[in-house]
Amino acid sequence: MKILYFAKLKQLIGKSEETICIERKKKISQVINELKKRNDVYNFAFKETNSLQYAVNCEYVDLDTFVTDSDELAIFPPVSGG
Amino acid sequence: MKIIFQKNKFIESDYINKFSLDNKDSGAIFSFIGKVRPKNQNNNILSIDIELYEKMAQVQIKKIINKLMKKYLIDDYLVIHRYGKVKPGENIVLIVVASQHRKESFRFGEELMDWLKVKATFWKKENFANGSEWVNQKETDREFIDFSL
Repeated sequence: MKILYFAKLKQLIGKSEETICIERKKKISQVINELKKRNDVYNFAFKETNSLQYAVNCEYVDLDTFVTDSDELAIFPPVSGG
Repeated sequence: MKIIFQKNKFIESDYINKFSLDNKDSGAIFSFIGKVRPKNQNNNILSIDIELYEKMAQVQIKKIINKLMKKYLIDDYLVIHRYGKVKPGENIVLIVVASQHRKESFRFGEELMDWLKVKATFWKKENFANGSEWVNQKETDREFIDFSL
């Protein structure tokens, strides 16, 4: 599954995207918990998951949404355009 | 009916004039320009960097426009939003709306801008002489949104 990071989150993690392998469908919260286990950088970046926003295939979703390997998950702080 | 994301500066009058000519049978043309301010509460702003998730911004803005078009009878719209580096005084966003009567285009334009602030996937970072700071979404940006739409 492709994961995209934007804005401050991209800066904290140090990359704009990565691909992970998901064998069966998982909740976004589970994906994040696994990422947090990788190292301190991810652990810090995802410290406040409720203040981030989530999108699957360009639609806003919440942390309880299930994702599969073919999805594109985007994670970012609340938008600030306009 | 166009949504344009671009890095380059634009001259608003060129687009507004052309839009008005293209919609010569409309009785009202609404336009809004959002610009970069030269300072925030604490610092002088040298420039801002605007990051964009283009694919999602297209999807979300179209979705908002489809909802608003069911609510207001308009003839045409144009949205231009810049990304990349933008300097104080330069335009960030332009919204132009055509309708038969003024209320439809006023309301459509205002609500589109309100929605764009909370749904369109752009992020601003302000650059100062001594550093930079990501801009947070303001509580007030969500105040006027009719989330029941």
